[in-house]
This record gives sequence, structure tokens and C-alpha cells, in this order.
Amino acid sequence: MVEIALGTALAAIGAGVAIGFAGLGSGLGQGIAAAGSVGAVAEDNDMFARGIIFTALPETQAIYGFLIAILLLVFSGLLGGGEGLPITSGLVAIGVGASIGFAGLGSGMGQGIAAASSVGAVVEDNDMFARGIIFTALPETQAIYGFLIAILLMVFGGILG
Amino acid sequence: MADELTTILTSFGISNEAFLAIIVVVLLIIGAVVVIIVSRPILDIYPYLLPNAKVRARKGRLFDEKHFSEIIEADDYKEITNYLRGFPDYAKHLDNHSIEKSLDIQLGETYSILSKIAPTDIKKVFVILSKKSDISNIKSLIAAKEANLSKDETTKLLIPVGSLYPTCEQLVESNTIENVIAGLDGTEYGSVLEDALSEYNESGMILPFESALDKHFLENLLSASSVPSDDNTRILHSYIGSQVDVANLKIIIRSKADGLKYDSINTHMISNGYQIKEWKLKDLMESDNVTSIVNGLDGTDYYQILNEALGTYNETDSISIFEKALDEYIVNYANSLSLKNPLGVGPIIGYLNKKEKEIKNLKIIIRAKRENNLEMSDIQEMLV
Repeated sequence: MVEIALGTALAAIGAGVAIGFAGLGSGLGQGIAAAGSVGAVAEDNDMFARGIIFTALPETQAIYGFLIAILLLVFSGLLGGGEGLPITSGLVAIGVGASIGFAGLGSGMGQGIAAASSVGAVVEDNDMFARGIIFTALPETQAIYGFLIAILLMVFGGILG
Repeated sequence: MADELTTILTSFGISNEAFLAIIVVVLLIIGAVVVIIVSRPILDIYPYLLPNAKVRARKGRLFDEKHFSEIIEADDYKEITNYLRGFPDYAKHLDNHSIEKSLDIQLGETYSILSKIAPTDIKKVFVILSKKSDISNIKSLIAAKEANLSKDETTKLLIPVGSLYPTCEQLVESNTIENVIAGLDGTEYGSVLEDALSEYNESGMILPFESALDKHFLENLLSASSVPSDDNTRILHSYIGSQVDVANLKIIIRSKADGLKYDSINTHMISNGYQIKEWKLKDLMESDNVTSIVNGLDGTDYYQILNEALGTYNETDSISIFEKALDEYIVNYANSLSLKNPLGVGPIIGYLNKKEKEIKNLKIIIRAKRENNLEMSDIQEMLV
């Protein structure tokens, strides 16, 4: 059996939380946006490209979560075979995962709802596309905050560098 | 610090593995709570996403003010027919049917589509709404038999939409109103019409049949929406309830203008609308005249709009001003409801309201072009 330091094991939980919750939010958001888009495409074939754009927007939260999870796995020594993390850094890693995980969950869901509404607005009035994109992009900020704090925690919590 | 933490854990008799297990369990519990909390609003929104996108796409195809200005500028109704041929929703019917019938078919199809795409919790209301075409066909049959129209003329009156259309098509062969009613035996309308038969025999007018069918329709609609369980069903109930209020008010105002008494009006009333409850209805039916009815509505939304129309009524003695005010109230009320829950039932109500308004206005314009040589400004004023 592979010996894993407690700190590294905690970082693994952090990585799981990061991609797990961010992916959940992103998935729900994309599901909501896709359900709205498919209805729009059913009525108007020209909506396909714009529906795809709105449906793709809530993908970013999963990407942030994925990036953070990879960084945690690499710098905790789980991938690449480096030194294991101390327990305190492992606890920081859980904070890192929670930061991007929960921020991504809320942001992804919010963005999905906004995207579904925007698709409805665009299919009703083509001129709403640009404004729909702006409104849909707004809930991205929460994921960016979570991502930034996760990076800062990793840098100053002794995980990165 | 790590050593201190390990010391603390050891002093509590917790091993590293147990500590890990505790953290995993705590995170799982937090995760489960978060998922439950966030999924509840999603579950409310989710059933409406597909229908709302479909409905909003259709809403985008409705006529705006520019379209209506162009239609009003048409020289005659034939030019309007040609104009409508440019819009697939209407064009597909215009080759086989008259313009008025094409509009009725399109409206019937709208009800039918909404009844198919509406989410489960509000589906029943839209299924009942889709029966409007059946009721219209039965009314046409009865009117045709009363007027002794030929089979071809009667068939032309029927709208080829609705589950009862094949039955109505067969009933064209009937010779009398009684035969039509007998032919509808086994449907929900058979007993409704039989109950109105004695009143028809006494008065010799088909109005009791029309009134009974309208009452049956609105009562079913009201009962389908009468147990609001969430925001969506509450909004739908207020929309349907307001339509019942308006239907009751129109009957009461018309009856009082004709000098009818309580007993004559009461049989046509539908109890428990949205703002006008049973006791209020009774008060209104007992009012002496139209002015008392308007004053009796103090405290409801209807008071202000009818009070504003009262001056014109006193000058013209025509109750159509009240009916127009009430129709406009429903349109504006539905519009406000459509904005209340944009991720729920709002867009569906908004579309239904706008589609009904579009068809109603098109019919007004076509009638004005066909029968009168009215000025464009006059037609504009007639629109809802």
C-alpha cells in the first residue's frame, strides 16, 4: 500500500472539494442553460450557435476547479512524486478546495439561470444577444474571487512555492 | 504547529486516519446540506426552462406596433390577407380558410400547443383552456341550427381544432338543436346543454346555451387553478380568477343596463373569483344601476378603471366602454403577471395574453375594413 502523508491526504480532499463542488455548480448551470437553449433551437434553428455560446459560459467554473485540483495534486506530492505536505498545509488545501468549490457552485448555478433567461430573451429579440452575454457574464465574478483566494491560499499557505 | 495538532489529536485518542475520516464526514455533511439547499430553487425552475424558451421564441414572432400600423394602413381586408400570408403561422391556413377562420384556427393551435408544453403543475389549466375551440364549435353548431343554415354553411363555421371537432363535424348532419345536444351526450357538455334546454324553450333564444357553456368553461378553469401551492400556481390562479371577475362584471353590468333583477343574473354567476368573492357578487347583483355597481367595487382594482369610464357611459349610455376598460385591465394585469416570475409561469401567461390580444385586434381591424370605411385613427382607438 502506498504511504501518503496526512497533509497530502488532506490536500487530496481539498482537490476533491474543488473540482467536486465547482463541477456540480457548472453542471447544474450548463444543464439549465442547455434546457433553455434546446427549447429555443426547437423553435428557431438559427439559435443553435448562440445557444451553444450561452450553454458554454457556465463551463468556466469547472475549469477553475479543475486547475486548482491539479495544482493541489501536483504540489502536495500526490502527482509527480514530490515531498508530502505537512498537516497544516493540508488543512490550508481544504480551504483552497472549499474556496473555489463553493464559489464555483454558486457562480455556475447563477450563470446557468442567467444564460437560460438570456437565451429566451435572444430568441424573442435578436438585439438582446450582447446584453444577454453581459448579464450572463456577471455571476462569473464570484468564481473569479474564489479562484483568486484559492491561489493566494496556496501561495501563502506554503503549498505553492 | 503540526506537532501541536498531532499532540492534541493524540490526547483525545484520535489517530491520523480517524481525523481524516472525521474531516471527510464533516465535508460530506456540509456538501449534502449545500446541495439540498441549492437544488430546491433549481427544481422549481427546471420544468419551466424548455416551455419558456419555446414560448418566448413564439412571443418574438408576435406583431408589434409597426406591424399593426401597416395592417391598419391596408386598403381593404384582402390586402390584410395578403399581408398575413407573409407570416407562416397564419399563411398555412389562409389558402384553405377565410381570414377570420384562419385567425380562430391559429388561436386554437396556440391553446393546444400550450396545453402540450405546459409543466405538469399547471398543465390542467391549459388543457381546459384548449377546450375553448370545442366550446366555440358547439356554439357555432347551435347558432347554425337555430338559423337553419345548410350543412355546408354550418361546416364553414367550425374551427378544425380541438378534440371534439370530429364529433362536431358529424353533428352538422343534425336537424335540430335537440339533436345536437343528444349527439353531445357522453361529453362534458351534454348535461350542461340539457340543463339550459328548458330556459331555451321558454325564451326561444340560444343565449342560455352560450351562457351555460361559458359558465361551465370558466368554472372548470377556476377549479383547475384553485389550489395554489407555489408562486407559479398562485400567479396563474390570480390570472384565471381575474378573468372570472371580469366575466361576472360584464354580465352584471349588461344585465343592470337592461334592467334585470337578481334572480335573472344569479344563474349566470361564477362564485369565488379573485377579487370579487361571493358576498360581494351578491351585493353587486342587488345594485340598482350601473353607477351603484361601480361604487360597490370600491376597494378592488376594478373600481378605478370602471369609475374612469363612468363619465363616458353617462354621456353615451353604451356599456361597451366598460367592456373595453375591463378587457384592457386583463391585458395590463396579465402583462404585469408575466414580469413577476420570469423563470416560471410568467412568460407563458405573457405569451398567451399577447397572442389573444393580437388575434382580437386583427379581428377588429378586419371587421372595420370589411364593414365600415373607418378612419385609421378610429380603428386605432378600437384596438385593445
